[in-house]
Amino acid sequence: MVAPTVPHETTSPTAKGATARILAVFLAGAAVAVLLGVYANEHTPTKDKPYALFFTDTIQLKVWFASAAVVLAVVQVLLGMRLYGRLRWPKQSPAWLGDAHRLVGIVAFGLTLPVAYHCLWALGFQSTDMTGASSTRVLVHSIVGCCFYGAFVTKVLCVRVKGLPGWAIPVAGGLVFGALVLVFVTSSLWWFVDRPAGLPLF
Amino acid sequence: MGFKRFVNLMEIAVAVVALGFVVMLFANQPDGESEASESPPGATIFSASCAGCHGADGGGGIGPKLAGEVVDDFPDAADEIAVVTNGRRGMPSFDGRLTPREIEQVVEYTRTALGG
Repeated sequence: MVAPTVPHETTSPTAKGATARILAVFLAGAAVAVLLGVYANEHTPTKDKPYALFFTDTIQLKVWFASAAVVLAVVQVLLGMRLYGRLRWPKQSPAWLGDAHRLVGIVAFGLTLPVAYHCLWALGFQSTDMTGASSTRVLVHSIVGCCFYGAFVTKVLCVRVKGLPGWAIPVAGGLVFGALVLVFVTSSLWWFVDRPAGLPLF
Repeated sequence: MGFKRFVNLMEIAVAVVALGFVVMLFANQPDGESEASESPPGATIFSASCAGCHGADGGGGIGPKLAGEVVDDFPDAADEIAVVTNGRRGMPSFDGRLTPREIEQVVEYTRTALGG
């Protein structure tokens, strides 16, 4: 009697390729986050305030730009959920939904750029608040701020690289969104609720 | 122009802006070492503890403008030292964060090098 053949748990070449690709994509994002952190730590902060537009100061510009980016990110997540069928409204998904999802994300990302530039160039990687006292909020903000751009690069690569697992884009998108919200909570939200007395909101 | 084309153009535009910011990060390097070697002791303290709110040149920001005004606001340097030491309204106390000597140095810096 011939013993039944036990199927080996083999990984197909396609699955191996997908694993390698997803690893490469996430490693690329991690590398960007680390590079930004290294730059922020090694670069001598200028303390300059290069732009304020119509706001009182650069910090108010940053607070409101980051807030707008978070609002747009929420819209983008909702559009993404509709694209993936997690939301059923509207019943008929319009043809332009995917492009609207992209556009909202592009604008949100664009709004973060002057904010991040000032953080990296003028302030650098910090773990203390404006008085020099150790601050968990500031440390978390510094770390997650760098991670946000790493997650963003990962998300963009997940969209561009073919043959990745189906979970790659939602997971990467979730990381981007989560990082942005955490950056917002540790900066703009703090400004709204706990800024030093007498400082203007706008 | 179709919506898709517009989105594509926006994507390119934002990518170019992002690249521009990256270039600026490296192009706008401050001359930190030479400044540090030539600047008075209060300058380093000011840069580390005060510039975040009052601006790199004392021109103001979250905190009020100091350059050209602080001597008028505090004709007696002891009053300015008291504010830095004890804090006032949005201004935090630096007692324990800076030594009395450092506070004197940074106050002197705001009253002289920043143009009082």
